[in-house]
Amino acid sequence: MSEAHAPVESAAEEPDYFEVLVESMRELLVAKGLIGAGEVRAMVETLDAHDPTIGAALVARAWVEEDFRARLRDDATAVVEQSGIDNYDHARFVVLEQTPDTHNLVVCTLCSCYPRALLGLPPDWYKSRPYRSRAVREPRAVLAEFGTDVADDVRIRVHDSNANMRYLVMPMRPAGTDGWTQEQLAALVTRDSMIGVSRALTP
Amino acid sequence: MTPAFAPGQRVRIADRDAPGHVRTPVYVRGRIGVIERVLPQFLDPEREAYGVNAGTEVQLYRVRIPQISLWPDYRGSREDVLELEIYEHWLEHAEEDAR
Amino acid sequence: MTDKSELIVRPTHDMGGRTPGGPVTRDDHEMTPFEKTCHALLNVLDAHKLVNTEEKRRGVEDLGGEILSSLTYDERWAVSASKVLIEKGLITSEELGETMAQVRRRLTADP
Repeated sequence: MSEAHAPVESAAEEPDYFEVLVESMRELLVAKGLIGAGEVRAMVETLDAHDPTIGAALVARAWVEEDFRARLRDDATAVVEQSGIDNYDHARFVVLEQTPDTHNLVVCTLCSCYPRALLGLPPDWYKSRPYRSRAVREPRAVLAEFGTDVADDVRIRVHDSNANMRYLVMPMRPAGTDGWTQEQLAALVTRDSMIGVSRALTP
Repeated sequence: MTPAFAPGQRVRIADRDAPGHVRTPVYVRGRIGVIERVLPQFLDPEREAYGVNAGTEVQLYRVRIPQISLWPDYRGSREDVLELEIYEHWLEHAEEDAR
Repeated sequence: MTDKSELIVRPTHDMGGRTPGGPVTRDDHEMTPFEKTCHALLNVLDAHKLVNTEEKRRGVEDLGGEILSSLTYDERWAVSASKVLIEKGLITSEELGETMAQVRRRLTADP
């Protein structure tokens, strides 16, 4: 496992090879006019602007508005873009609803495909060998490691996000939240519940 | 171009093993499943991986496979399924009784 | 499949169902500036189709098992992107090397 990158400001040490490589590619491509001078910086800002609160807001609204939920089920990509979310990597989305008899779980066995515009960047464990190898083969054991028990009579659908679609799990609305505002509800919707390894928080 | 497969149809995933960049994981190759839904067409990733950015659109499908047919040691409900996206050129019709 | 063909047909990145898997440790970490910059660069390269996402993935896969297990995610992406850019004739290894020398000098001289 490689070490964390030393900040480039520590002059006593040799700058990290890969940091030099990335900066050099950027400069060379700008010099050649192949990318704009501010594009990478702007993209860093875009990455920073996306986090799980975006997905949580969609889930909370779907919990409260049945027609919004239906539209998400029907064409999630259109709904995302109409919601004013910057779908910066042009993803196509599928929303998967948890129900009392079906539990959905998402993994990308081949790499790290993830609904980044809705959840931000994926956690390390999602990209790890244990998760990618075991989620498809023994989902119940993996879920148990996350503290999520799924009853034997509940069907598990594991979704390998291996090609062009990106998946957002809609957890079930917890009991005891009648009359809650969307903002209050969104606070219960964790990133992990939108991957399917956990359920939403309870009040 | 009309999709060759429709939701509910039984399909077999091809078992090709040539070098190259493919998005069909080994653990589902040669397996039988059912079309869960027809997805849009997308550029063929096997060609995209070598710089072909246009003109290679392929139909994509979601395929559902019973977990008990994938793993001999599967521990869970018999109803548990695995669903993933398979490009049309990796699919063929599977007869009901063929195994 | 023999062991040798397995290396080709089932490359390291194709992880579904592989054993042993090991426990899922809930690792996560705050992204470093390098990681964000690298991620951002690859997104920009894809937007311009200089290195599209599949080319990036193919490049990572072709790094092979030892490099894959030694480098972090973003380090692999960086190496993959540089090789694809060179392969496509968009940059040369020579000019990349010259730029890297300049960047190193600048970073060492002016902390």
